[in-house]
Amino acid sequence: MSVHAEPEDDVALLRCAESGDREAFDRFVERHQAAVFRFVRTLGPDPALSEDVLQETFLAAWRRARTFRGESSVRTWLFTIARNATARQYRRRVGEPERQDVASLDDLGVAAGWGTDSDPEATAIQQEQRAAVVRALEALDAEDRRVLVLRDLEQLNGEDAAAVLGLTLAALKSRLHRARLRFAAHLRREIADGF
Amino acid sequence: MDSERLIAGLWCSEVLADLSDYFDDQLPPERRAQIESHLRGCAVCERFGGQFSAAVTALRRTLTEPDPLDQGASARLRERLRRELK
Repeated sequence: MSVHAEPEDDVALLRCAESGDREAFDRFVERHQAAVFRFVRTLGPDPALSEDVLQETFLAAWRRARTFRGESSVRTWLFTIARNATARQYRRRVGEPERQDVASLDDLGVAAGWGTDSDPEATAIQQEQRAAVVRALEALDAEDRRVLVLRDLEQLNGEDAAAVLGLTLAALKSRLHRARLRFAAHLRREIADGF
Repeated sequence: MDSERLIAGLWCSEVLADLSDYFDDQLPPERRAQIESHLRGCAVCERFGGQFSAAVTALRRTLTEPDPLDQGASARLRERLRRELK
């Protein structure tokens, strides 16, 4: 039984966890487990390892609760822990170079419909939108999904998303724009194919 | 794009390069105004900008909430925490 009165927010839950309150921590986990898992799935290809990383993330969050100072959002803090946990899980892959994105912006734009007259999105987005959006997102590689999940779904600001991914803000912005163009291209294809 | 044009001092490809920053309202006011002038004068970029914005907005609006963790994964997480956090 928790000795703390109903915590109202994440920081309060973490402060309770810091003093050993497992019930408060369980509620904290319940709040964030789905979002952390969505992000973790973009960090590595192995579903079984993703679940391990999810567990390691919350174990680390419990142990490091006192290190959270509220300078960033709780999600930013959790995602940073998750990224570090993933690096440990995929230790053998850590030294591999990041993908070099050599596609030209013009090519990405044309694939997304830049410079064409057709506008299938306007009507089709209203139909079966979620399924099409999910398929378009899943069609991206993990690096693109990672940046879209942080910036467009979790709505972290650019600085926080860059910090989570260990990138400069300029690099984050470049990846985000390319990922959005590729997502728009996949969504366009989904719609052109009639879902 | 075959018919790239220079409008309001910007080529279409320069507008394309700045679309995310424009969408995120991350551009200096002068650059934003320049892009808006280009969009007013270029139907192709205006249309594509609308499509790009619609796609990102669709992503944001439809997937804001993550799917709930499936019961098995959630149970395994709780069990691991129960076992290791004593």
